[in-house]
Amino acid sequence: MIDSSSIKQLAGHPFDRRDFLKVLGWSGAAVALSGCGNTSIENGKETVVSYVEAADYVIPGVAVYYNSTCAQCDAGCNINGRVREGRVLKLEGNAASAINRGKMCGLGQAGVQHHYNPDRVREPLLRKGDKGETISWDKAYALIAEKLNGVSGEQVAFLSGAVSGHLKVLLGNYLESLGSKNLYVYEAVAPAVQRAANKKAYGTEMPRFNINKAKVVLSFGADFLGSWVSPVHFSQQYAQFRKGVDGQRGVLVQVESKMTLTGANADRWLVVRPGTEGILALGIINALGASGVTLSGDVAAAVQGYDKARVSNDTGVSVEHLDKLVALLKERTPSLVLAGSAAEGYAHGSQNAAAINLLNQVLGNVGKTIEASASVPFPQMIPAKGNTAALKTLNDDLAAGKYKVLFTYATNPVFTAPGSMKFKANLAKAGFKVAFAHYLDETALEADLVLPLDSALEDWGTQVPEYMAEGAQINIQQPLMEKLHANTQGMGDILLTLVKQREADKYKDFADYYGYLRGSLLTIKGALGSGGTDDDTFWDETLTSGIIKLAGSAEQLSGNASAAGLQLPAAAAADAQYSFHLIPSVTAYLRDGRHTNQPWLQESPDPLTTIVWDSWVEIHPKKAAELGIVEGDVLEVSSRTGSIRAQAYLFPGIHPDAISIPLGRGHEALGRYAKGYGVNPFQILDAVFDQETGELALHETRVKISKVGQRIIVVKDEGAAGGKPEQRRIALSKSTDQVKLSEEV
Amino acid sequence: MSVSNLLENWSQFRHFHPVDDKPHDPYKWAMSIDIDACSGCNACSVACYAENNIPVVGKERFQHGQQMHWMRIERYWPDHDFDFPEQGAEFLPMMCQQCEAAPCETVCPVGATNHTADGLNSQIYNRCIGSRYCSANCPFKVRYFNWYDYPTDETVWPAEMNRQLNPDVSVRGKGVMEKCTFCVQRLRAAEVTAKGEGRIVREGEVQTACQQACPTSAISFGNLVDPESRVHKQWQAQQVEMNVDEQEKDKEPGGSHLRGYRILEELRPYPSVMYLERVRESAI
Amino acid sequence: MKDIREDIAWAKINRDVLVSLENPRKLYWVIVFGALSLFSVGLGCEIYQYQVGMGVANLNNPNVWGLYIATFIFWIGMSHSGTLLSAILHLMHADWRKPIYRFAEAMTTFSLMTAGLFVMVHIGRLWQFYYALPYPNDRGTWPNFQSPLLWDAMAIFTYLSSSVLFLYVGMIPDLAICRDNLHKGWRKKLYTLLALGWEGTDRQWRNFRVTYLTIACFLIPLAVSVHSIVASDFAMSQQPGWHVTSFPPYFVAGALYSGCAAIITLFIILRYVFRFEDYMTKSILKKTVRLTFAIAMVWTYLNAVEFAAVWYGHDMDAKAVLIQKATGPFAPFWWGMVFCGSVVPLMLAFKRFQTNIPVLFAVSLLLNLGMWLERWMIVAPTFSHGYYPWVWDNDQWPSLIQWGMVMGSFGWFTLLFMVFCKVFPSVSMYEVKEMVYHRSLHLKKNETAGQGAH
Repeated sequence: MIDSSSIKQLAGHPFDRRDFLKVLGWSGAAVALSGCGNTSIENGKETVVSYVEAADYVIPGVAVYYNSTCAQCDAGCNINGRVREGRVLKLEGNAASAINRGKMCGLGQAGVQHHYNPDRVREPLLRKGDKGETISWDKAYALIAEKLNGVSGEQVAFLSGAVSGHLKVLLGNYLESLGSKNLYVYEAVAPAVQRAANKKAYGTEMPRFNINKAKVVLSFGADFLGSWVSPVHFSQQYAQFRKGVDGQRGVLVQVESKMTLTGANADRWLVVRPGTEGILALGIINALGASGVTLSGDVAAAVQGYDKARVSNDTGVSVEHLDKLVALLKERTPSLVLAGSAAEGYAHGSQNAAAINLLNQVLGNVGKTIEASASVPFPQMIPAKGNTAALKTLNDDLAAGKYKVLFTYATNPVFTAPGSMKFKANLAKAGFKVAFAHYLDETALEADLVLPLDSALEDWGTQVPEYMAEGAQINIQQPLMEKLHANTQGMGDILLTLVKQREADKYKDFADYYGYLRGSLLTIKGALGSGGTDDDTFWDETLTSGIIKLAGSAEQLSGNASAAGLQLPAAAAADAQYSFHLIPSVTAYLRDGRHTNQPWLQESPDPLTTIVWDSWVEIHPKKAAELGIVEGDVLEVSSRTGSIRAQAYLFPGIHPDAISIPLGRGHEALGRYAKGYGVNPFQILDAVFDQETGELALHETRVKISKVGQRIIVVKDEGAAGGKPEQRRIALSKSTDQVKLSEEV
Repeated sequence: MSVSNLLENWSQFRHFHPVDDKPHDPYKWAMSIDIDACSGCNACSVACYAENNIPVVGKERFQHGQQMHWMRIERYWPDHDFDFPEQGAEFLPMMCQQCEAAPCETVCPVGATNHTADGLNSQIYNRCIGSRYCSANCPFKVRYFNWYDYPTDETVWPAEMNRQLNPDVSVRGKGVMEKCTFCVQRLRAAEVTAKGEGRIVREGEVQTACQQACPTSAISFGNLVDPESRVHKQWQAQQVEMNVDEQEKDKEPGGSHLRGYRILEELRPYPSVMYLERVRESAI
Repeated sequence: MKDIREDIAWAKINRDVLVSLENPRKLYWVIVFGALSLFSVGLGCEIYQYQVGMGVANLNNPNVWGLYIATFIFWIGMSHSGTLLSAILHLMHADWRKPIYRFAEAMTTFSLMTAGLFVMVHIGRLWQFYYALPYPNDRGTWPNFQSPLLWDAMAIFTYLSSSVLFLYVGMIPDLAICRDNLHKGWRKKLYTLLALGWEGTDRQWRNFRVTYLTIACFLIPLAVSVHSIVASDFAMSQQPGWHVTSFPPYFVAGALYSGCAAIITLFIILRYVFRFEDYMTKSILKKTVRLTFAIAMVWTYLNAVEFAAVWYGHDMDAKAVLIQKATGPFAPFWWGMVFCGSVVPLMLAFKRFQTNIPVLFAVSLLLNLGMWLERWMIVAPTFSHGYYPWVWDNDQWPSLIQWGMVMGSFGWFTLLFMVFCKVFPSVSMYEVKEMVYHRSLHLKKNETAGQGAH
């Protein structure tokens, strides 16, 4: 509602442009609200500034659109922000983007709620005991300089989320100026095993996957419609894939232990015993070989033992389904096999991924549905990709008390580090902790100095997506409106100030990050393909389109089908004490939990369970019946590391030996919409790592469950019928032999 | 106000469903949703919250069933018993079906919900007294009532969050009914622009927020009267007629190979939303 | 059995009735206090709901109506028996109605006023309720004459105004008695005003009779129509379980039923509180009880007709609602309704219970409970088990606010009723005199006949 006291204040003060924007905001809200009556303005108690005094770029009532880049995840969707009277109202997709082609996911659209979030940090805060004391930026910078004084580069570390573009350049330069090599890029749910496996199999970490060109997609736990790599892009490919080439509709087969959003859209969803995805892949190769597909000698040798009976026994997939799947893969080419995080979250995750990639090669998909992607020809700008191995190293170093100064940015390890790492305790051993933060999240609360950041909708930047849809592109991020809070700063500006503390001369030409960005892009104008245009035109065009499209340099794919080094362990034995596999699920909207304080995301029902605002434990109905568990029973889920309590939800799309708890909720801080809702399964994860890459094996934690004797009402959208149509003609379905898709519009 | 005025008004009252003497001209807004393409991702629903100033009610009110999502994604499992959902789940985006013979319209005591000339089922917030009879009579249960005064509720739009509110859409106070409007504010803007240029709204010129966001382009929206519109072509190709309670194609023995259908059509509300059935591969 | 004595003096009738206006038993004040407290609770709930929003009632989508509408129908139903006793039995010259029709008619008026309250507390924007009225305005907007809710509002308003008129007209001769017999004070002024200069002349009596008869004739179809129209709120909708042709007669039967049960309850209370033992005799009670029993059986029959029609019909959705009523979360209430509405009244078939006041008091309360449950079971299950399975929802237990307002309505009704009985003669003096006169004539005739035989 209208903040009347502020309006009163304004009425008595001369105001600047920013205040003016505020007033516009309020009066806009007033216009919107007047429909419901009873506003104080209507009653004539307040003063409002009329539109007659509008700023020159504001036409009251007319919305303008600016292109920018979505910062809610790393996919790099290009967005188009709707701005009216100086307020950004809605984020829509940029139709010119090869990545999202005008489309947006819900997570991306909630970016406005990140920007307008009432719980953003607004002032630099310095720790005074348990409290934060507001200080000025000058003091904050001076304090950092003071703390860095006499500290060697070895004793300084910077923990960051994934960064790319000029921010990454500047960050590198700053660390260099400190003499530090300790940049830890940490992402809790990144496809890091995937990258390593792809590098080995195809020679590139992130090739281009052409779902739309495949006739069959066999996905081993890759939730490409929900949270995997670049979901909005893949969703569009998926839509084309479903329409099919020549009216032959693409077939999606999903293999996983817990149904993901992608699994819920599969023509055939195959549940496998957790961790046996690789065995199934090798079994399929073996069966393909038996049905006449030529296998190279070492591949044939590697899959020799994986006959159908054994594979079926190990994975739980019936021989009948295996046969049908093999026949389908053989008959309909090209196909595409994807390895997702569900298959990779094990100690043998790399091996699983390798086996799955090998299947792609055996099927001859490399070069057809898997193609080389282009990369930006500026290596310093390509993304610093996050992983969990980095966190482990940092954690070990912190435990050893190695760091006197630690910076954190765009990551919240106190929340996302597995409980077994005891990261919070180790963090306390760092001398001086500086957090660059949007919210007072769990990590910022541990810091000594918290520096408030601009939101992505008020900051400048460049971003280079890890997954390139078509050619290569550099995304432009630009402010869609004036800063909401006077005392926040952009990360680029902060880094520039900090690096100027060390090397003032080198950066003296750049008054601010905007100047730095513009200058840097202008110097590579030629390489960006705009050598002929003058600076201003180039810059205007760049800002207008929000994307710099490049031909890029394609990396070569190696089509080498080799089974060298492939060694899958036997299916894991049952654990008598901790009898369930814990699957911490990554949901499309909450991911690692950094955006949980955006209420649209909290209230957007989980697509599969329709639960909102809370965590739940998915358990198979048969298993639940065996254990006497009904929906809403509060369960204690204990691992060797710890235990959490959450409500049970009976979910048929899960292996009976597994339970699943979504990630992202269970915050103890962050803000009013996140704190106290649900539980955080990161807390009970055991420290098991992938043997090859050292990545945290997310799915390796074993747990036991017990009822605590409490039953609560599950807050969800589905009614008492539990999503059964009860014989009513509501959601109808046909099979492909009943339809003629080629005749459709 | 004379009685003659009342009678004249009355003769025009709710006349705009497809009858021979008043065909839809030049607009009849309609939709088609391909549930084979829909992945159930909820992007449309969030877009709807953003565009239409829908309040986030919070956990407790959601628990009481007071959520306001105009666009909800329903997830269905098969009716028969099964161990595992081997053909996945089925997702159905459900919002006001903008019925041509809407059950909600006849029962409203104050005429707050009406049919517009361009085929929308409109809701006049200022006229609504909150009897909730429309919701009681809605077969789809897609009407949402303002159980609380969300504009003054500090948890819904606290300071700053309220600046995101779309000025083109009124914020509803307590006690009124609301529902999907087919983004009427966008339609009106486009209609007015087109009228100023002496033409009708072209295909693709206006999108609903849900359609615009949908990552799989499962939603098409447009002018059913316009033979160039995708919606028109889809309805025609699927042989779905507006003012019938059973489609000719469904009377064929053995059913039709066409996927178009309307939900609860047999109740004769003449919904303006056609769904296209989900498809599953028969070879696997 | 003791009936009204035919030798009772007219002056004694006046005295006995007038004493009720001044000197009731202590229990009267207990009841008034209790009613006032209940009403305050209801009022508090409404103020809270008005301030915060309808959500505090724990209504939701799809359960948008809840107890308010159920209790609304209940009170509308209560109103019917007053008309039955005062108008229908008047036309049928049933003399036994005379001592009790006045309070029954008062009950009609006050239950209608209570029902009206529920329309108010139910709507989301109470402050805009006048939009539902067809008043001329410069916007040229009218309410929707197609909506059963509007018919409802009009029917209730017409019925209420007619009932008030009927009650008042029927009281004029008694008001004159009050005027002539009471001490000076505000009451005397009130009665003088209301008695309209009644002097009991022949011409006045003749006009009075014609007027009274005319209003009675007018009221009867109105009473039947008003509950039929309330039934149309449901029957005209498209929802499973509501879209039933037999609803109007079913509603009317239910209305008469609950009204008769309420008359028994109030009969017993008034008889004690105002010391009306001489007038509200057990013989009259017995007749009322028999009438109630007959109506109970009619209601049971219509209930059975409705279930059978649904069960053997082809409307699968309506059948699902019926099954849900009998087996779902509402089952205890639904079976409670069947028990209270169809089984308990069987007790009234036994002669020894027909005049047993404690038993009748308990039974009449149970019957009314059953009838209240019936209304709830008409409204709620259709909402929670409608056409669209996605929104099926069992968790919509009404909040304390709703219950508070239901309780408050009983307080409000009792309060109005008790105040009425204290201010106006709740037994019709002139009609009782008529009754006594008729009886004595009858006796004399018998005597003459006996003498003639000699």
